[in-house]
Amino acid sequence: MCTMYCPRPVVDTYNERLEITRAPHIDYAQAIPSSYYIDAKACLRVNFETCNLCAQTCTAGAIDFSQKPKNLELEVGAVVLTPGFGRVDESVLEKFGYGRYPDVLTAFEFERLTCASGPTEGHIVRPSDNRPPKKIAFLQCIGSRDETCGNGYCSSVCCMYAIKEASVAKEHEPDLDVSIFFMDVRTMGKGFDDARKRAQEKYGINVIRARVPRVDQVDGRLALTWTTDDGEHHSGIFDMVVLSVGLESPEDAEVISKVADIGLNRYNFCKTRVDSPLSTTREGVYVAGAFQGPKDIPESVTQASGVAAIASELLADARSSQTVSITYPEENKALEEQEPRIGIFVCHCGVNIAGVVDVKAVRDYAASLPGVVLYEDPLYSCSQDALKSIAEKIKENNLNRVVIAACSPRTHEPLFQETLRSVGLNPALVEMANIRDQCAWVHAQEPEAATEKAKDLVRMAAAKARLLSPLEQPTVDVTPGALVLGGGAAGMSAALSIADQGYNVTLIEKSRQLGGNLRRLTWTLDGENAKEVLEDMISRVEEHPGIEVITNSSVESISGYVGNFTSTIATGKKTRLVNHGVTVIATGAREYKPKSYAYGESPRIITQLELEEKLSRGRGFLKNARNIVMIQCVGSRGDDMSHCSRLCCTQAVKNALKLKELKPDANIYILYRDMRTYGFYEDAYREARKKGIIFLRYSPDEKPQVIKQARGIKVRTRDRLLGDDLEIPASLVVLSAGIEPGENQELSKILKAPLTSEGFFLEAHAKLRPVEIAVDGVYLCGLAHGPKSLEESVAQAKAAAAKATIPLAKGKVAVAPIVSRVDQDACIGCGICESLCPFNAIRLSKVGKRKKAQTITASCKGCGICASHCPTIAISMGGFTDEAIMAQIHAFSGRECGEE
Amino acid sequence: MSRIKAICCNYTLSVEPDALKSAGLVPEDVEFERLPCTGRLEVPELLDAFTQGAAAVFVVGCELDKCHNLSGSRRASKRVAQAKKILEELDMDPGLVEMFFAGRGETEPVVEAARLMAARAARAKKAQ
Repeated sequence: MCTMYCPRPVVDTYNERLEITRAPHIDYAQAIPSSYYIDAKACLRVNFETCNLCAQTCTAGAIDFSQKPKNLELEVGAVVLTPGFGRVDESVLEKFGYGRYPDVLTAFEFERLTCASGPTEGHIVRPSDNRPPKKIAFLQCIGSRDETCGNGYCSSVCCMYAIKEASVAKEHEPDLDVSIFFMDVRTMGKGFDDARKRAQEKYGINVIRARVPRVDQVDGRLALTWTTDDGEHHSGIFDMVVLSVGLESPEDAEVISKVADIGLNRYNFCKTRVDSPLSTTREGVYVAGAFQGPKDIPESVTQASGVAAIASELLADARSSQTVSITYPEENKALEEQEPRIGIFVCHCGVNIAGVVDVKAVRDYAASLPGVVLYEDPLYSCSQDALKSIAEKIKENNLNRVVIAACSPRTHEPLFQETLRSVGLNPALVEMANIRDQCAWVHAQEPEAATEKAKDLVRMAAAKARLLSPLEQPTVDVTPGALVLGGGAAGMSAALSIADQGYNVTLIEKSRQLGGNLRRLTWTLDGENAKEVLEDMISRVEEHPGIEVITNSSVESISGYVGNFTSTIATGKKTRLVNHGVTVIATGAREYKPKSYAYGESPRIITQLELEEKLSRGRGFLKNARNIVMIQCVGSRGDDMSHCSRLCCTQAVKNALKLKELKPDANIYILYRDMRTYGFYEDAYREARKKGIIFLRYSPDEKPQVIKQARGIKVRTRDRLLGDDLEIPASLVVLSAGIEPGENQELSKILKAPLTSEGFFLEAHAKLRPVEIAVDGVYLCGLAHGPKSLEESVAQAKAAAAKATIPLAKGKVAVAPIVSRVDQDACIGCGICESLCPFNAIRLSKVGKRKKAQTITASCKGCGICASHCPTIAISMGGFTDEAIMAQIHAFSGRECGEE
Repeated sequence: MSRIKAICCNYTLSVEPDALKSAGLVPEDVEFERLPCTGRLEVPELLDAFTQGAAAVFVVGCELDKCHNLSGSRRASKRVAQAKKILEELDMDPGLVEMFFAGRGETEPVVEAARLMAARAARAKKAQ
């Protein structure tokens, strides 16, 4: 309403300035919080004390112009900086015709064009003539990997988002011709390489390896010229050009740096160290997300959890010192058991529902339903006043069932459940009918039919409400300890964080000493001494009173559920039991053992880690080295393993720079497919080229060959610029062997933790739950999750620690009231439910002589898979009993339950 | 259809002529020649194009004050002016040879020139 009446048009910045909105508006329908706000810069009332139209039209009276900006002073123990990333300056984009030619768009603008709720409702059209384009070009690295604009780093995310946007565009318009211009295809995230391959194959997206220098407009179309790495010139005419702009440091980075007194790096991002990626240069001030360096959503979410762990370590003593707990009145069981006395509230939702559905008619209809003693039609049933009034009316009328005909239970059911609890009713006794989404919204053009449907829904809800029964909300005590599997960098970081937060940790390590793969590194990717990082970590773990380290051990079995795990730890032949509340998987991975390139046939053909080990023992072996050849993607990217191992490119560059430093006259060659030195690692790649390290690209169908001869080794590879084979006599061949998953199958079976097709552990959700697995109380970090750098492992370990301490800190695990329940008499112990449960929440146990299924309520998610598969219908779901659902169906067909 | 000869310098034709033709931006019968600089053009070369069967000839060089070789396009424009005079003496339309200027890497002026000259050639053919 406010948006409708506002006379002040403003540019819609959410839709990338492609559309106009009004001063009071909401960015998009699903925005959180889902309320409108007023653009104070444009508002006539705020600036000129005129208008006030919106305040008058708002039926909820929610617009209050008397509010003034306030300065707050908060006393806090830690500060977390998450300002995100900034925009690449428009002057950089102008080089590519942006602003001059209307059909040159940024990828952000293109994203809005492809969005169904965007300015064009998802139709891809050229801004110049509103016609659909036939040929689109994506230009990568705009404002990234470009020293001329001061951004020497790689923005890490643009390759993948360009592929995503190109795929979406092809999905909309299958005949579109889409080309993406890359320098290197940097899709190094977990599962990203597969997604890219699928996109290329499924949609036929052209991948062109070239950097387009400029965009020229010809007769309303866009002309591009480029040179490929074989030296050939090409040109093409396109209808639309999308600039894949990079991630810049936030505009106010310097202000933040001054206010928070923290250091910035040379690109104005927050300065951090490899072994503490979430700490700024000032103690107590932490950072997460793109301000720490360009990164994608999963990594940002991971860092955010990680930073919560650090703040929680710092503030462990103050935990729960300022919390307020809510007390509820005793449940009125006597009232609940009486004949149903139903109260029905039919919500107007302002004009949202009442604009279409005849709310008063629905309310009056509700009065005719059996068992209904109260019927009302609040304007906004979710507003504070209305909730209070609902609570009072429940009391006054001794209601024991409530039906709310309003919006979605997904968003609002907890609110009404809370209201019931506040007056001593079990929260399971409320039922919702969604007459907003299912009537007013989808049938906006047919008000009469919508009203009839609303009556149907209310009748069904009331029928179900009569059969609702109170559900228990049991809580389970939590054993205040964690089991961490794996004593590498990730496992140790997670253990330290959990222990620093005040909980006991048992750290299990398979080998005889802590350290994992970090032990084999000599330098970290940014050149710090890996040994020092390792020794510091080990001494902190060993000295920590809260951590017990058990080496030479492995887990034989883990039973139980979140809050109450019992594990059998085997050390040699001895076994012992450990009780713990949560489990962290940090079992790591290992360097792939090459099967090609004559590995193992000569001491001069080694892997990168072997090179580092040699280097840490001294430089003697380099004495006669003239040519050193490194080969990338050994084992990775379809060689033997399908995934990209993410860090070998940076590792190779790092080691090449080290070799160059020790032996400046040696020629160093790196044979690669795509150099994936993402983020600030790009600096090292540039430095390597400046120092004369030679990079030669090979394609997977023309792999380099390592030829062992009587005297020495030769590497043959194709030089694309010369168009000819090159033979390099090599004194040393270093293979960048990828990262191979460990033997995860057994642990996967023990924990019911799923694995990816490559054999790494699979997280519950890549973006929303990146360090949890589907089974409650089990968390994941480090190389066990997928290839990643030390820095990323440490951040992820902190994140896993943060998630793992949630149940530990709560002390109790609240069980969702809607869980499966097994009727022991009807159960025949077939075990179908146990095998199907994705959460490990139902199991067979001996009851008397026979096996019977039992729900572990603490782990049950209430998905209902077990109930729907039970052959004897022995399993029912609380809140969704068969009787209640049948009653709903009967009510729909107009019959009452039992009237058949 | 009549053949048209286009002579461009290295800095005024960055897009491949084939790409322009296949996108329908330039008529098929425009034949492009790319020179390092238009400054080396001589009048006989321009006239020779006509004897080779071209219906019109045009030259595209850098903008006068921004020529990569300082005075290359200025020289070329003088040669074109001389060629125009000779065409006049031969009773031909002097508009059939023309000089154009384009900014570095700008394709639009080249395309416009080609279209203009194609139109002139067609008009001249009609008048015959």
